[in-house]
Amino acid sequence: MGKVKQPKNLTPRIEWLRNYFFEGVSRPWNNEYKVFTTGEEHDEMYNELTYYIVPETYTFFGTFQNGLPQIARRIEIPDCFYGWSIAERRAWFVKEAMTKHVPLDILPGDLLCGANFNIFTSQCLTKKEKKRRDKALYGKDGLRAETIEFHDRGFGNCGATSGHLIPDYATILSKGFKYVIEQLDTSYESLSEKQRKGAAGAQLRAMKTAAEMPCELAKRYAARLKILAANEKDRVRKAELIQMSLNLEVVPFNPARDLWQAVQSLWLTHMLVMSDENYPGPGVSFGRLDQYLYPYYLKSVDQGMTEEFMKEILECMWVHCNTVYDAQIKVGANQGITAGFGQLFMISGIGDKGQDMTNELSYMLLDVIDDMSPILEPKPNVRLHKNSPDKLLKRIVEMIAESQGAPFLLNFDERSMAGLLREAKKSGCEDKINASNVWNYASVGCMENSMVGNDRSSTVDINLNLLKAVELTLVRGGELREYKDMLWNKPYPPKKHSEDTGDPTKFATFEEFYAAFEKHIRYIVRKIAELYDKSDCVRADFQPTPYLSLLIKGCIEKALDVTQGGAELRFITVEGVTFASTVDSLLAVKYLVYDKKVCTMAELIEALKNNWEGNEKLQAIAKNKAPKYGRDDDDADEMARKVMELWAEETWKYKTAATDAQLRPGMLSWNYWVGDGYVLPASPDGRKNGQFLSNAVCPCNGADTKGPTSNINSVGKALGGRTENGDYMDYINYLPNGASHTITLSPSLVRDDAHKDKLAAFLKAYTENGGTALQINILDVDTLIDAQKHPAEYRHLLVRVTGYNAYFTSIGRELQNEIIAREIHNKF
Amino acid sequence: MRTYILDLQKMSTEDGPGIRTTVFFKGCNLKCAWCHNPESIAFYRHIYWLEERCMGCQSCVSICPKKAITSENGIISIDARLCDFCMKCVEECPMNAIEVKGMETSVEELVKELMKDKAFYDASGGGVTLSGGEAVLNWEYLLPLLQQLKQRGVHTAVDTAGCYPFPILQKLLPYTDLILYDLKHIDNVLHNEFTGVENTLIFQNAARLGKLKSPKVWIRTPIIPGATDTKENIIGIAKFIKENMPDIERWELISFNNLAGQKYKLLGKEWQYKDVELLTRTKMESLCALAKKQVKKAMWSGATKSEVTL
Repeated sequence: MGKVKQPKNLTPRIEWLRNYFFEGVSRPWNNEYKVFTTGEEHDEMYNELTYYIVPETYTFFGTFQNGLPQIARRIEIPDCFYGWSIAERRAWFVKEAMTKHVPLDILPGDLLCGANFNIFTSQCLTKKEKKRRDKALYGKDGLRAETIEFHDRGFGNCGATSGHLIPDYATILSKGFKYVIEQLDTSYESLSEKQRKGAAGAQLRAMKTAAEMPCELAKRYAARLKILAANEKDRVRKAELIQMSLNLEVVPFNPARDLWQAVQSLWLTHMLVMSDENYPGPGVSFGRLDQYLYPYYLKSVDQGMTEEFMKEILECMWVHCNTVYDAQIKVGANQGITAGFGQLFMISGIGDKGQDMTNELSYMLLDVIDDMSPILEPKPNVRLHKNSPDKLLKRIVEMIAESQGAPFLLNFDERSMAGLLREAKKSGCEDKINASNVWNYASVGCMENSMVGNDRSSTVDINLNLLKAVELTLVRGGELREYKDMLWNKPYPPKKHSEDTGDPTKFATFEEFYAAFEKHIRYIVRKIAELYDKSDCVRADFQPTPYLSLLIKGCIEKALDVTQGGAELRFITVEGVTFASTVDSLLAVKYLVYDKKVCTMAELIEALKNNWEGNEKLQAIAKNKAPKYGRDDDDADEMARKVMELWAEETWKYKTAATDAQLRPGMLSWNYWVGDGYVLPASPDGRKNGQFLSNAVCPCNGADTKGPTSNINSVGKALGGRTENGDYMDYINYLPNGASHTITLSPSLVRDDAHKDKLAAFLKAYTENGGTALQINILDVDTLIDAQKHPAEYRHLLVRVTGYNAYFTSIGRELQNEIIAREIHNKF
Repeated sequence: MRTYILDLQKMSTEDGPGIRTTVFFKGCNLKCAWCHNPESIAFYRHIYWLEERCMGCQSCVSICPKKAITSENGIISIDARLCDFCMKCVEECPMNAIEVKGMETSVEELVKELMKDKAFYDASGGGVTLSGGEAVLNWEYLLPLLQQLKQRGVHTAVDTAGCYPFPILQKLLPYTDLILYDLKHIDNVLHNEFTGVENTLIFQNAARLGKLKSPKVWIRTPIIPGATDTKENIIGIAKFIKENMPDIERWELISFNNLAGQKYKLLGKEWQYKDVELLTRTKMESLCALAKKQVKKAMWSGATKSEVTL
């Protein structure tokens, strides 16, 4: 087992920049939030609505709300300000802040400009508008209270948030903002006089202002670079500064002419999305970087740019991407967000004819990742498929071996595309997503599949605890425990939520139980869709992002902001949380009450009310004897498939009122399954309140006792498997937004070339039998120690030596210690 | 003879090429002193109690129709003479703390289970390995099993110690792609001493196997401290392979591991290798170098003092 992965092959320039970034708070420069206000008393800068999806932040709302005005700098607003629409005000204010008030910092040796972009700006509302918004959010029946109670009562969490989409960067690189401005002008000219005076005209004017922002910022940087160049003594650096200045005289207004200009254009365009949304990056993703940067790469190769210099340009972008984390540099890492901000980009994948699209730049990007890791941003995701080249697989496996776990996620094209084509059918947008373009999909944030450049893919906005429906079934639409206000630890009054589906103790068959469960699934999906709709309305009313709207196809044509439904494609993902916990609970009810008659329904309900206390034997039977999802057991996996189809189908029934966005299903790997384990009561699968729930599409912790291949086969079946009438080829995928799957493998799989080949083949087989996205972890010493402490969760952990294998948890403590000791020994 | 399957190991990466499922059969006609899978030696089933899993609910004691299970101070004892493997205790135990080693499965059921990982076999050049115990002694079961696997395009391997009349193995060969063949000791007396059988038949069969064009053969030699780890033994086996089996694909020297103690304990036995130290990497490398002088395809794997592979 290895040491912690170290960066390598870095040039002195990049090494300095990387080290500088990791100096963190002690850096003289950082990209901490800069706050700008109109200076009026009613002005608000913190938009808590954006954080309704992050329950960990609920307790900080007040702090931010009250704290920001105290550090805010005032920007003088013109007299006509409130005569404008909100979008025009926002566009002007953000542009003013970014071009005139944010310092134009350029770090030593840096090859790219665009440093300070984390800002909080005035919401630019009139007193009256503010009052209306306050009522919607903070009133007695306001969204804040409803959202918090909804979460506290174990349903899940939701709220319209920012980021999580892939802007149309490719157009900016190839045509420049010049083209976008032309489009805006054409669109404006086509408006009637009346329309110009109305919302459409105001929106296009706002977008025009927003379109001038990157161009003006580039000009200012260019001028600053000239001064720096004039004062620079080092000849090489001087030449670089002059070229950087020339670059910014070209891009992003004009098309980029080489890789350096393309990356500069990309970065500036990208960072301003985060400024515009006042949101440091979560899920603002790059799409297929190795594809749309490739023409510029080829040009630079032609012009004789060295590979080393091209890598340096890309690595500078890596450093810039990481400065998003400076946002809250002084208040701890990232507010308890554990997964990073997720500026995701894709490598490889198939092309229009199903051919593999891996190119030299794909490999260069992998080298950059390898050289820079460990580092959090941007997040790479490698697209694999049936015809992925051996060279690519080999490179990937090498990187997994060296990093003791993949420094990227793997995305699987066939299953992913099946999901997106299903989405097209279900939402009636086959004109926009079909066989002719689905291959060009990319992922957002972690692994959420989306179309590129025209898709307002809100991929994390709704997180629904499916397990809640089991609870509702057991207590006729009521509650199995006393829920508490998490902030004040004050009990909520008991509440009947869903319809009374009858006394479960009278259900003669499991089918009756399941029929009631179906009704409650319908209820929880409807309930969360309704709650979400309210937040989508508030956003549409008060929170335009005119700059981002420039980069999403449809907004200019419709003269409509992206927050108001301007995008060609509009999706809101309902992320199904607690999937395996739900499936295993249903399997346990069937096993305990109906098949084996181990207990009566009344006894089971009583045991759950008592959090299994005093019923340890029944709990053990639920845990150890009832069938489980994740073991390639066809009957159990059929239950998983059925539940998947049920809740997924339910989501297609809903669209948002304000933006006409289609709800769709997905399973993201976020951390709610940890925290909500303390909220949701004990469940029939043997889990106690306080224990973790299942993660995304993964089987419950420790349930996959038949090893990784069985685990993978189960996941593939749960997503719909493969049938004659597939959505893409013979693949079915109920979850168009993707299914996050994590697998831990033993280090023996990467110990030599022969075994690395086996791992490469394992990934190929995943394209056949598995899901849409895979994270590979390699077992380490900490896991072994944890396995020793919690054997029940690691029954599947094998110790292998040639010709011998045994479960780690069953070999006795002494031997366990010996193995751990040897591993630690190897580590140092 | 009844065929009992000890275990099914999916995603096995250590028993032949690619990703495989290894089926361990019960029953062996050798009794190697160092055996790592002692529960595979007997042809009959074993029942035992796993103390660390037990929650002390006594379900097993009360359910047993034969009164074979007793409990004293939290320690469960199972009287093997009374047990008729009705499986009631196994089914009843909420913690899976009672295990029976040896299950009966029809060939059809087994094939169905093995086919579930076909995609992994195909992508990796892997397949199914039949191991044991001595898998070949179950040849009547193996024959239709191998036939059905071949019909379905699965690569098949048989792991064997070779101590039986050759025609038995011959029946299986048309449906076997690879034989993993153990050659443990060149010295007949020592072979008898360590494994309980003479090596004459084993080496004769190996020589006959060596004359055949197919299937492919991998020779495996366990390197056991104080038993098979001598220069003489390696040189002797090397010479034999060179003369009689020149076309083998691989010769694996597999270093001893000491992880089987707990398995012996469960069977109520003491393992004589319990406190024996692992070999060093240097020792394995020097033996392998010796082997390579005669047989180029020699290689070594397994645990050594500095590493246990997980």
